Amino acid sequence: MTRALMLSAALWLGVLPAARAADTQAPASAGFDSKFVQTRTLPGFSAPLLSHGVMRFDKTHGFYWEITDPYHYVFEMNGDAAKETLPDGSVRQLKPEQTPWLAAVQHIIVNALSGDRSDLERYFAVAVTPLPKGERVDLTPKPGAMAEAIVSIEVTESAPGHPEEIQIKETSGDRMDIRFSSATP
Amino acid sequence: MSQPLSAAARWAIWAVSLSLLCGAAWLRLDHPINTDILAMLPAEQGPEALAAATDRSRDAFVHQVLVLVRGDDGRATRDAALAAQHTLTAEGLRVDDTGATVTQVLTLYKTHHFALLDGDQAARLSKGGAGALAADVAVSLASPAGVLSSFDTDPGGYLAGFLDSLPRPYADFLPDGPFMSALRDGKRYFLLSMESQGSGFAQDSAMQVTNAVHDARAAVAQACPGCGMQATGAPLFADAARSEAQTETLWLSAASMLLIMVLIAYVFRSLAPHVLAALQLVASVLAACAAVIICFGSIQILTLVFGTTLLGIAIDYALLYFAEYWFGDADPSCVMRAVRPGLYMGLLTGVAAFAFLLLAGFPALLQIAVFSIAGLLEAALVVVLIFPVTLTTPAQVAAHPAVGWPQRFIVAACRPSRWRYLLPALVLLISVPGWLKLTTSDDVRDLQQLPPELVQTDGDIRSILGQIPPPGFFLVEGEDLDQALSREEALFARLQPDLPDATTLGLSRFLPSQGEQAASLAAWNRVFAEPAALRTGLTHLGLPAELADHMQTSWRSASHEPMTAQSLFTAAPDLKRFVITESKGVALLSTVTGSKDIDAAVLAKAAAGMPGVIFEDPLAHIAATFHRIRVRTTWLVVIGYLLISMLLVWRYGRREAARMLYPPLLAMGVTLGALGWLGAPVNIFVVVALILILGLGRDYTVFLREGGASRRSPALAVTLSALTMLCSFGLLSLSQIPALHTFGLATLIGILASYLSAPLSLPPERSKTP
Repeated sequence: MTRALMLSAALWLGVLPAARAADTQAPASAGFDSKFVQTRTLPGFSAPLLSHGVMRFDKTHGFYWEITDPYHYVFEMNGDAAKETLPDGSVRQLKPEQTPWLAAVQHIIVNALSGDRSDLERYFAVAVTPLPKGERVDLTPKPGAMAEAIVSIEVTESAPGHPEEIQIKETSGDRMDIRFSSATP
Repeated sequence: MSQPLSAAARWAIWAVSLSLLCGAAWLRLDHPINTDILAMLPAEQGPEALAAATDRSRDAFVHQVLVLVRGDDGRATRDAALAAQHTLTAEGLRVDDTGATVTQVLTLYKTHHFALLDGDQAARLSKGGAGALAADVAVSLASPAGVLSSFDTDPGGYLAGFLDSLPRPYADFLPDGPFMSALRDGKRYFLLSMESQGSGFAQDSAMQVTNAVHDARAAVAQACPGCGMQATGAPLFADAARSEAQTETLWLSAASMLLIMVLIAYVFRSLAPHVLAALQLVASVLAACAAVIICFGSIQILTLVFGTTLLGIAIDYALLYFAEYWFGDADPSCVMRAVRPGLYMGLLTGVAAFAFLLLAGFPALLQIAVFSIAGLLEAALVVVLIFPVTLTTPAQVAAHPAVGWPQRFIVAACRPSRWRYLLPALVLLISVPGWLKLTTSDDVRDLQQLPPELVQTDGDIRSILGQIPPPGFFLVEGEDLDQALSREEALFARLQPDLPDATTLGLSRFLPSQGEQAASLAAWNRVFAEPAALRTGLTHLGLPAELADHMQTSWRSASHEPMTAQSLFTAAPDLKRFVITESKGVALLSTVTGSKDIDAAVLAKAAAGMPGVIFEDPLAHIAATFHRIRVRTTWLVVIGYLLISMLLVWRYGRREAARMLYPPLLAMGVTLGALGWLGAPVNIFVVVALILILGLGRDYTVFLREGGASRRSPALAVTLSALTMLCSFGLLSLSQIPALHTFGLATLIGILASYLSAPLSLPPERSKTP
């Protein structure tokens, strides 16, 4: 039975690879507040999907992710409590057993954005490239199930803790660009 | 008239018989000492699947070793965990390796992802059609978690949801390279889930695990001086129990032997009794061990510890012989003839009493019975064959005062006096409230002494992992696998309201039933039957209609067949462990885990009334088995005592036999009363002690009856026997193992009572003072 449980845990991380890098404890970052433009490139599609939104987090209010266009969607998480506001306006409370992976995702995003690399280094090979203004942090998954799903994560910062863009390349061919504007770290 | 055997022939017969016995045992030897207390229980009765499920559940438990490496610095702690894992695997432990399996199972799940909607999702799509799917796609694209799921293989994120719903072993621990890790209170924890090879309770295997953990701890300290390591698992407990039992055996045997030797030296003042008694004891223990190994392949640790008590029993017959030879009236050549009636009668009744334990249906009692019968027979054989040809010249030791007082006690106790009736009546009166205070215990946990530090470590690790071992398991039977899966799904659904935080674990969590998969496929079919509606739904949300075409193409090219058990087992063979094939159908093994203790009654209630579902609580089952055996053994003792009564009636007549049976029964009553006053529960081992008390009390009355109160040697033999019994059995009351402690306490009280009441078996007479 234990082996079956280990298998299911590994499977879970196989599809949500970022979560394997995460812990459910809240990151120690001070806070972040920014608008963003998300560009999602899907293989076989002529044009990428564009969406606009707002992301912020702080210790008091937790993690807030809102898509404002082309439709409205909100994800909020504070501690173990999480809820979604769906495009039709309905609110969906997420079950406690569903929140760990959501917490994991918000954790890794927050870590990547806040410049806290110590935790990320456990799971990624971290390479920092100086840029004329700021630097680029390349996160390459270490060998394992995650490497089968994620090719790389790139974070471009104007300064440590001041992210401008995140690019996530997946082995499926999907690609995600999140470009931040008017960030308030 | 037949010629008596020569000395050489007697030695040869004895040596050859013992050698043959030991040789046969050597050939049969599987592993010498078995510490598995569960193996002492009778084989499972009832449905074959239940027995198989019990074995499988037990195997998973006895092999698992959990190791936690902790430290402040994540990287250094990881290095320490790697060092620990390297050491553990190098020393024979197996590590969970699911890497290759994951890829294969993921591929399978991706292939059949349209069949994996859960009941709620299928209902939502069936009811909402294309609009519901469009909304779900929008959410999956918008959700922060959705950024990491592939639209191409998982539009709507349903597969991710399915994988997320799979049971996880430890809530806060996430797979982390070869480990699972978590951050708690600023410390990084790495979990190594290992399995021991071989039987977790076998001596070699348990020692191997203990040594490996010891070495791994050293490796951790070397790799990361500030890091710590904790480990738990059944093999560690088994090895600690074995080590403690062996240590106790050693000192109990040594103390017993020393006390007996001092006693013999004081009374007989000669080297010969030491040599002959040692020869007899070694031979009887050897024969006893050999007989057990021949019958069972190995010897249980508790049988071995009980075997130390045989030191007392085996010397009993020798003392009878020595007392007659050194201080009796018979010529050396006639000693055997003088002691033979008492010796044979004692042997006959002793073997008869133990033989009844063979019917108890309890492996531990079977072993003890075989051990004791073989030991008694060998001890008697040594006395009969060897003693007469070694003690051939008249003893040169004068009767000193200490030799006389046992007889004086017997004679004094046999004088007509109202105290012969009043004193036993008074003692019984005091015992009665004790009887009313008596409690019984059949819980196997009460029989063991678990090392406190291991218990503490186990608790700490379980607390950190947030997983308490389940109180039992379910057996879900069906005519075929799919019916069993459906029943398991229904069971888990029934459990959910009562145990919302618990994790259900069974094959249906990995393989939905055919019915559920069919409902999932039907829901998708309903959605894709209206291509235009899906396009409209997406565009209404501002998403391109092209997504609908992509999903439509994906649906057309995908497999519309449900995932089969065979394909899943090919990808993940470990999942076969959930399945037990029966002669008529299939059974599934499943359970529930959680971060808090789960009430077995809740699980039993959920199973009640569900067709084909059985909840099995192994500890309760074991306790029930102990109860059944305790009751059965008690009846066997009663029947055995009646048989012995008939033997005594045959030999001594009804009146004398009744008088001889009275003291042992009195001793038993006193023992039970004392146990009640002391708050010691009556368990199966107390019942065994009562058997011994009855047997010893009967021996004393037989020896006295055969020897008579007017002779010195029988009184001396009975007294020495009681003292040596106290040295061996009584010492067990000092044991740290609860089962042995209670056994020792009962025998200590019982032997004292048996000895003091033994003169009551003789008729009152105004004998001459010796």
